[in-house]
Amino acid sequence: MQLEQKKDLPITESVKVDESTRVDTMTINMGPQHPSTHGVLRLILTLEGETVVRAVPDIGYLHTGIEKTAESKSYFQSLVVTDRMDYLAPLSNNLGYSLAVEKLLGVEDDIPAKAIYARVLLVELQRIASHLVWLGTSAIDLGAQSVFLYCFRERELILDIFELVSGVRLMTSYIMPGGLQADLPPGFDEQVQAFIDLFPERLREYHGLLTNNQIWLERTKGIAPISAKDAIALGCTGPVLRGSGVAWDVRKMFPYSGYEQFAFDIPVGSNGDVYDRYLVRMLEMEESLKIVKQALEGMPTGPYQVSDHKIVPPPKWAVSTNMEALIHHFKLYTEGYRPPAGEVYVRIESPKGELGYYLVSDGTARPYRMHVRAPSFGNLEGLPKMVEGQLLSDVIAAIGSIDIVLGEVDR
Amino acid sequence: MAEQLSKLAAKTVEVVRERFGEAVLEVVEHRGETTILLPPDKLPAVSRYLRDHPTLHYDSMADLTAVDWLERVPRYDVVYHLLSVQTRAVIRLKTRVGQPEEELPAVPSITGIWPSANWFEREVYDLFGINFTGHPDLRRILMPEDWTSHPLRKDYPLTGIELPEPHWGGQVALNQPLPPGTGRQTIRVLQSRPQTPPRPKPEPGEPAR
Repeated sequence: MQLEQKKDLPITESVKVDESTRVDTMTINMGPQHPSTHGVLRLILTLEGETVVRAVPDIGYLHTGIEKTAESKSYFQSLVVTDRMDYLAPLSNNLGYSLAVEKLLGVEDDIPAKAIYARVLLVELQRIASHLVWLGTSAIDLGAQSVFLYCFRERELILDIFELVSGVRLMTSYIMPGGLQADLPPGFDEQVQAFIDLFPERLREYHGLLTNNQIWLERTKGIAPISAKDAIALGCTGPVLRGSGVAWDVRKMFPYSGYEQFAFDIPVGSNGDVYDRYLVRMLEMEESLKIVKQALEGMPTGPYQVSDHKIVPPPKWAVSTNMEALIHHFKLYTEGYRPPAGEVYVRIESPKGELGYYLVSDGTARPYRMHVRAPSFGNLEGLPKMVEGQLLSDVIAAIGSIDIVLGEVDR
Repeated sequence: MAEQLSKLAAKTVEVVRERFGEAVLEVVEHRGETTILLPPDKLPAVSRYLRDHPTLHYDSMADLTAVDWLERVPRYDVVYHLLSVQTRAVIRLKTRVGQPEEELPAVPSITGIWPSANWFEREVYDLFGINFTGHPDLRRILMPEDWTSHPLRKDYPLTGIELPEPHWGGQVALNQPLPPGTGRQTIRVLQSRPQTPPRPKPEPGEPAR
């Protein structure tokens, strides 16, 4: 009951005297330069002793106007800005954008099977890589320093695979509207297979370091809980929602990019606390590895792009010998393609949650409007609900457990 | 899957038409996605009805944004993507606001129906200048508090020197007077310093420096 009273305190007022008791609160600033805020998140916390009575997130420090930038670029060029939003999972962003443009163009059924399988494989590797960064950083926030080094060691192996296929480690832009940028290179299968063989053992190491670790349990069990009802109402998605016990995964609910062809499970928590969100992500890495394995075994042969060279660039050898290919090449790079007027909303399951692309075309070669529903944006909205009533030191555990990337929160 | 989606969308359109007959201005279907166009004043009632509907249960507001159609009257589309976690139904609601010469067009807020709309409405307010009446905490969310304009409007410059925020500095044309306290003034001070005198030529016989 007393907590209700305190919530009415304005943020600027740190001391309030009511009739019978004196309530001392203190308003402090956490961030935007705090190392545990994973970027530039600022939290204005009102504390009573060590208990947080009110938390107000302040975002926007990393606002880069990506949605505005996309309006001035052709559909072909806008792909590159999508990498920069969730910079820990650029391929997931590429996939969401590519699916939206393909739906706008009406070519989503023409994507060759090889491109679909390669996309799924790479996006699931990306999910593992993103979860590894989350695991390492959230563990280091709570004092488990060695986990960080191990996680980055394995992430490096995945980045090596990305470098092999695209030449770039992070901002790959490898998945593009109409297929892939380039064919899968020789040696790809072996490198992915080596990772599949190695990773389960490494995953057991992480479990050994944390899952039954008494210190880890005490820092995470029962900390920063959020109920399923609140999580849905506040727009939380992804592992945060599943940690609260809702079996909701866009890959299962609205299968996209051929996910209905793969067998995998959705790990679901029950308490909605930091530990459940931790376990959900740990088990998700196993499930992702299953999908990677299936995609690698079933990888079809054939083209890796649609055959329509109005959408994808023609091969280099054709440009230098074929007049039509030269025209297509020139048209694509100078002007781009013009999807028919209309609007689409495409949702995918990024490592952080539901990533939605809302694209509006007015029939010209540039997106009239590109809006990104960033999963971290919705998940961060649930943060005050999680931390109010908790201790100050648990705020750090809560921020770590929702796995925010400020690049996509602020866009 | 796709049939199931369109069946649920058709059901949604049917129940909204049944309950709010004259309020449904238009129903558009494009690439398998259904949009219901509503007048702004009917939006909260329809939202509440859809959330509490016994079989559809739109319990989540997945996304909210706006589109600026500069030439059109009314000027803005405010777009709501609703989602039902229980029945997997999706629907897009849309409303149009913004008469000419209207500085801040107003839409009723739906924060009371789906709390997740809170930040999304703040974002639309910040970037488009659309006022959500009844919002509990309508502040700028991405841009700085003292920003005066709305960047995602189509008449807002993408780049260049016409940025209407002189107090933020750095975006003023070279031939224009500078507002006090902006970044470029420092540069100009540096430039206006007298140039260093040319180094004297070494006399013949003197060792080269």
